Amino acid sequence: MKLKVADQLHDVGPHIRMNRTTKEIMQDVVIALIPAFLGSIYFFGIKALILVMTAVTTCVISEYIWQKLRKEPLTVSDWSAVVTGILLAFNVPATTPVWAVMVASVFAIIVAKQFFGGIGSNFANPALMGRALLLFLWPASISGYVSTYHAGADAVSSATVLGLYKSGSQISQFSKWDMFIGNIPGCIGETSKLLLLIGFAYLCYRRVVNISTTAAYILTVLLVTFIFSGEGLFKGDILVNLLSGGLILGACYMMTDYASVAPRVKVTLAVIAGLITAGIRLWGMLPEGVSYGILAANCLSGLVDNLIKPHIYGVNVKKSK
Amino acid sequence: MKKYFHGGIHPADGSDKLLSNQVPIRVYTPKSVEISMKQSPNGFSKAIVKPGDKVSKGDLIGVPANFSAANVHASVSGTVKDIILAKDNFNREYEIVVIESDKEEDMISNIPEREYEKKLVDLSSYSKEEIIGKMKEGGLIGMGGAGFPTHIKYETKEVINYILINGAECEPYLTCDHILMKEHGYAIINGVLLFVKAANAKKAYICIEDNKQDVAHELENIISGKNLPIEIVILPTRYPQGGERQLVEAVLRTEVPAGELPSSVGTIINNVGTAKAMADIVLGGVPVISRLVTVTGKVNTPCNYLVPIGTRYSELIEQSGGFTAEICRVVEGGPMTGNCLFIGNNPKDLKGSVAKNTSGLLVLEDLPKSESPCIRCGECERVCPAGLAPFKIDFAAIEGNINLCEKLYATECISCGCCSYVCPAKRELAYRITEAKNEIIRIRRERGGK
Repeated sequence: MKLKVADQLHDVGPHIRMNRTTKEIMQDVVIALIPAFLGSIYFFGIKALILVMTAVTTCVISEYIWQKLRKEPLTVSDWSAVVTGILLAFNVPATTPVWAVMVASVFAIIVAKQFFGGIGSNFANPALMGRALLLFLWPASISGYVSTYHAGADAVSSATVLGLYKSGSQISQFSKWDMFIGNIPGCIGETSKLLLLIGFAYLCYRRVVNISTTAAYILTVLLVTFIFSGEGLFKGDILVNLLSGGLILGACYMMTDYASVAPRVKVTLAVIAGLITAGIRLWGMLPEGVSYGILAANCLSGLVDNLIKPHIYGVNVKKSK
Repeated sequence: MKKYFHGGIHPADGSDKLLSNQVPIRVYTPKSVEISMKQSPNGFSKAIVKPGDKVSKGDLIGVPANFSAANVHASVSGTVKDIILAKDNFNREYEIVVIESDKEEDMISNIPEREYEKKLVDLSSYSKEEIIGKMKEGGLIGMGGAGFPTHIKYETKEVINYILINGAECEPYLTCDHILMKEHGYAIINGVLLFVKAANAKKAYICIEDNKQDVAHELENIISGKNLPIEIVILPTRYPQGGERQLVEAVLRTEVPAGELPSSVGTIINNVGTAKAMADIVLGGVPVISRLVTVTGKVNTPCNYLVPIGTRYSELIEQSGGFTAEICRVVEGGPMTGNCLFIGNNPKDLKGSVAKNTSGLLVLEDLPKSESPCIRCGECERVCPAGLAPFKIDFAAIEGNINLCEKLYATECISCGCCSYVCPAKRELAYRITEAKNEIIRIRRERGGK
């Protein structure tokens, strides 16, 4: 079989195409993340701005240098590195050192993305891989959670609400409304559920993502934690689990990542990720389980895709009259 | 209940069809025609006339040279000027008969009043064999685009229960079937009744998309209260609704088994244009020598033309006032499955002529395009009517891994182009999957031949 390449392909059909490009999709994701980005600056100050800018710049530059050195076609203008940078910064607390974010960004782009073939070929979410690297190598660098500027006092060290909830401590100082708008300690981009959901609504409106994966993930986590996280069965606090951690950020922007979640079985994978996340939250060492839950589902993506067979038109259909 | 098939897309908003579906039909008779002996993608006929011969309209000038070909008739009266040898994209040779018309005649003005265009006629005197014989004689092939000889479909040994008449016209821009149904309702119904007789079928379904409600109602009025074995089915507007497998899925709620023809589930599918031509052959005594062609897109006056088979494309563009875009891409057929004839700005360079299966001549602005890496968004998989994973087959095809393509069921691709249409990375999925499919079929044939 001899296939036409590059220029020769100009006349092949279909002769009309939908006017949406990879770049537009990535730009839409960036637009969707802007409210939460502004929120992060509001809640955590200039540190949030510095971390996001550092991550984005490092991601874009490392992708550019890698492709230049490898003499690969430059895809750095497709904005995907920008998305990775923003999401990576969103997943660390405001006290994270700038160097740690830079290391994580280089790792996310070079190791997690380019080593596996670049855009579309990464087996796991690059931003979460960057965060996982920091968790392994320098756990202290990303565990300094602070309260927000608007919690009545200057930024002071504080455990996350989820951490307090898990250890059975008092969490009544945080109202559900504060959790919803983001006025709680946490990673810079994850705290404001309101702003994340506004962005997500935009992505759904633009049909960049479909709500089913996000809903399946969130509902699974909530169901399992509702059953097991309280004193006695079916007494868990749904709202704390929903609003206090990175669940919304993960469900809206990481679980919906294209490359690392096989599209046909994404709902199944979302349920798997939800079970693992809930399991970590309930019985694991860490209070939060979103990043590992999603990374685990990323690793199972190929397997699940193989196990669940698609229905091909006319295959295994009997002749009938 | 709405009738759906799996997958599919909405490639247009309706404005594309509005270009030509409100404009009256124009009749155009050229001074000379180029009748190709290749009237369908794989059907080759052999010319039986030679330069200098006098022919009258309707005379047999070509006979089938292979299985998928049909008779070809002179579409104008005049003298055979020349027989040109041409080659197609696969380097296969075929003849083109050039006939120069000897008198200024209009295509339709001297045609006598036809009874079957105005009422339902009594068909009881026609036998199954007689109808199929006339299909063969009259050179009837699928007028929707596939161009497969109709009589072969009806010579099946399978028991046929249903005839599906495809009036979906799901391709954007094309409106010739819409106009045909509007203008020739009675002829179509008469043709459908002939099909029902030819197949001994229980029932015929005329399938129309809901963007053509007007003609659906008109056809409904023709058949209502007459106790005919015909039902009008309104389908949602969705591409590729008119794919024969998709029609079977949507209307009969069943699937055609892989590798089989629709006749294996007791069904034959014909285009509305074929039904009209059927009536013309049997009831009007005229073989397939003319058709409606939609000339639309970036031309000055988009319109549907009634033209003799063999009318040069360049003349049709000229009649429509020429190109209106800087650099044009001219497509034979619809924008999704059509074949790009030429890219340029001078209509005179446009080669080719109207064949029996030419539904449209579409002029689009030629835009630059280039592929970028697949981002695995899964859109192609979601829209694939066959249920395939186009991006996976694409990777396998690029690697040259034909075995993997086969395992991923590349053979079940219907080449509708939905995957390429939605791809945000602008990958040429449909092209490579179709190539892989053809390669697998070729290898299977070779193996079978040993």
